[in-house]
Amino acid sequence: MTHALELELKQMIIDTLELEDVTPEDIDPDAPLFVEGLGLDSIDALELGLALQKHYGIKLDAESDDTRQHFASLNHLAALVEARRVK
Amino acid sequence: MTDTWLPDAWRNASLAAPMGWYLAPDWQAVTWQTLHGRIGAWQALLDSHGGPESCWLLYSSDLLDFTAALIAIWERGDHALLPGDEQPDTLTALDAQTCARLGNVERGLLPGHPRPPLWGNISRRQLAVSLYTSGSTGTPQRIDKSFAQLGAELDTHARLWPLQGQLIISQVSHQHIYGLLFAVLRPLFERSPMMLTTCRYPEMLSTALQQLASASEKRTDIPGGAVLISAPPPLERLPDHLDWTSAPATLHRVHSSGAPLSASASRHAHRLLGAPIQEIYGSSETGGIGWRDQQDDSAWHPLPGVEIRTDDEGCLCLRSPFLPSQDWHYQADRIQATPGGRFRLLGRADRIAKVGGKRLSLTAMDRSLGNHPQVTQARTVTLPERDHRLGAIVKLTSDRLPWQRHARQALIESLRTHLAGSYPSTVIPRYWRFVGHWPTDTQGKLSSAVITRLFRDLDDARLPRWLGASSPDDDHCDIDLEVPERLTYLRGHFADNPVVPGVAIIQWVVDLAREFLAVTGRFQRLERIRFALSLLPGERARLSLDVATTTTGERLSFTLSGQRGQHASGKIVFAPEGRRHDG
Repeated sequence: MTHALELELKQMIIDTLELEDVTPEDIDPDAPLFVEGLGLDSIDALELGLALQKHYGIKLDAESDDTRQHFASLNHLAALVEARRVK
Repeated sequence: MTDTWLPDAWRNASLAAPMGWYLAPDWQAVTWQTLHGRIGAWQALLDSHGGPESCWLLYSSDLLDFTAALIAIWERGDHALLPGDEQPDTLTALDAQTCARLGNVERGLLPGHPRPPLWGNISRRQLAVSLYTSGSTGTPQRIDKSFAQLGAELDTHARLWPLQGQLIISQVSHQHIYGLLFAVLRPLFERSPMMLTTCRYPEMLSTALQQLASASEKRTDIPGGAVLISAPPPLERLPDHLDWTSAPATLHRVHSSGAPLSASASRHAHRLLGAPIQEIYGSSETGGIGWRDQQDDSAWHPLPGVEIRTDDEGCLCLRSPFLPSQDWHYQADRIQATPGGRFRLLGRADRIAKVGGKRLSLTAMDRSLGNHPQVTQARTVTLPERDHRLGAIVKLTSDRLPWQRHARQALIESLRTHLAGSYPSTVIPRYWRFVGHWPTDTQGKLSSAVITRLFRDLDDARLPRWLGASSPDDDHCDIDLEVPERLTYLRGHFADNPVVPGVAIIQWVVDLAREFLAVTGRFQRLERIRFALSLLPGERARLSLDVATTTTGERLSFTLSGQRGQHASGKIVFAPEGRRHDG
């Protein structure tokens, strides 16, 4: 993952979810985004899904299991974007 | 139905008699004749701007102008819409319903020379005024009042608490129902004179009472007794150190409304002012419902003519001559009946919200947050455009306020953990506002306008987080701020070590001085500006503003200080040729 993409994704998460107290440095690329770690929840997952579509043209199936896989950490999310982005 | 007809009060007044005084210069008298001339001047203005049965937006901080404009509107057969504040957004939202803005607001019309007034034909069923609720329990709602409703309420007050020619001194806004009734319409209706200077601050009140005591001895036109129209915020903050020795002999009664007064504030005000503190419980929609004097009993008496009962859930239902119909009217306040037909207020019925598709009691979440050891008061709120997430306003004791980013993060984590025991994470508040003083409007309410202000930075990444303002007088203001991590100005300034640029701080100071100290001049120059200590993301600070107005413009001094020391200080000079509305 490039540094630029990492920062871009961190900023996307913070802006989309309006995380008031989080800066990009606070997000550990290996740490879980949901429940522990950043503490995101199911509504955040839906919001992030929309943001991925808007920013990168990626369509997720919200019901499928690999959605959870993709959102496991920032590194997983970056891998998804690199593999499936259409814009 | 009333015995006396409200318009007779001004139509048949004895013209040479004073209807009020301005505190400065030297108790300048205003006669009924002057009021009549001002009514005529307004009528000429209205005739040139509106057709028959017009609706006018009226906002004036001057009691004489407000009273004259209101009567001019009524005698013309028109009706007045009274905005609760003069914020540009508030006024703009009402422009579509009204044919012009009247008074000392932006784009407000002001009258010309005095003229003889013309009396019209006012009917009791006619719509007199529209007001807006504070929105403390939702979005502000428009409430229409007919002359019959206002008349019934004035008649009840006159019987219960006759003014008998005493001077009415007000500390509250007459743009809301309580101030309109008690500070404007009651003295008109009972032909008791008004103090035309609103005594918003305790220093003014103390001076007014001392001067009243000596002026009434020297001048026969000035009454020796007064009635104070006040509210919880000024009464709770009456300073001990001011001279109140004239109060017991001059003040016959103090009224308070807007929110219940705490027992300690009632005791404190009674001790300093030496007069009965009579509270009125009601709402914009219902008008007065009950009254009490806590030095006598903490339970409320229903006002004469108001019938009360409880519904199955213990909520208050009432039937009142002050309402447009004689149906039972439901209130969201829970009550308990006490002997002698009185009642106690037990608090609001639960506020229910739907958050992220889940129904939830906000009242229960407030209670749960209030049980956290560091929290003294909490209110969770839904925010417009963000219906999937809650905001929380949390009051902490001053030694617990988070001054640095890491302290704020730790506090939020602790609050989240505290709530996680009872709530799913999707309903736990996302936006936190930590305050040292409960932020309220001048009525003592955490109104929707205050809530909107607390969260405004969410929609504008150039703004600091605003956490409340307090003004001891018109020239000073302390504002608590926090630096949002997502502040635009932090990006690239500097890449590894972001700090708030000095130019952003100056912009905040100017904007906040315009908003809270009504600074209107054109920015001219900076003097002795110092940025002593960098201001960091997530850091909390207090901005102290102090404005001096002279013929050469406005001089604004500011300091911005936090836990680590003073971040910035200096002076900003404004030239006088800015926009002014005080005619």
